[in-house]
Amino acid sequence: MDDPRAARLVQTVLRCYPARWRRRHGDEAVELAALLVKDGTPAGSIAWSYLAGAAREWLTPRPGRRLSTVACALLVAACSLGVSAGLLASAGPARAASTSPAHVPAHCRPGSPAPVPGVIPAMAHPQVVIWKAGHGRSC
Amino acid sequence: MAVGRRDGRAGQDVLRRVGEASVLVLISLAGGPKHGYALIQDIKELAGVELGPGTLYGALDRLERLGLIEPLPADDRRHPYRITAPGAAALRVHLESLERVSAAGRLRLQLGGI
Repeated sequence: MDDPRAARLVQTVLRCYPARWRRRHGDEAVELAALLVKDGTPAGSIAWSYLAGAAREWLTPRPGRRLSTVACALLVAACSLGVSAGLLASAGPARAASTSPAHVPAHCRPGSPAPVPGVIPAMAHPQVVIWKAGHGRSC
Repeated sequence: MAVGRRDGRAGQDVLRRVGEASVLVLISLAGGPKHGYALIQDIKELAGVELGPGTLYGALDRLERLGLIEPLPADDRRHPYRITAPGAAALRVHLESLERVSAAGRLRLQLGGI
């Protein structure tokens, strides 16, 4: 391959395949990628195709491969997806908390009990923040 | 699995569930043995579909496991493949099935006046 970066990218992605596959198709796969790059196919799309192929290769049950290997691969994939989703979910409320408190309804702020009709709160009353002083509803 | 499909279920469309890429590879190999790059070029010419190399190798492995193609002795680093007799039979059955579906679709379009 003329472009050393493209060659490195393809070779890195080819390492994702099982060793058995690399022994059989590895050399030809590198040569095929070089020919495709020469034809004008972007190296990124070749690498992406090989990456998807490697994932399929690992996830396809084979007679010689124990089912537990496939199950482990699926479990790892599911866990990494779960962790990513968890991180995203936790980042959401953190971002929301960093915004101006003016957006939070008054009855949702800590220390602000639910308004009672007919009662005027004393202006000079010292504010004591008690978390449980809010209402029972979720904000 | 390959043996059962070859001997036990003659006439059944085994290519129905292998995916479009595998069918295209088989059609290309019906024209003579080819290696990976030649297959990609031929499929691009005959169907206008540009197969990615990862998809191609997946299709080749699947077809070989089913006994529908077989590798020929390697020519340098390139591994040519050829269609087997069960592969040719399976392709014939699949194409006949596609033709029936296609004819039915055309007829319905005519009857519906669309």
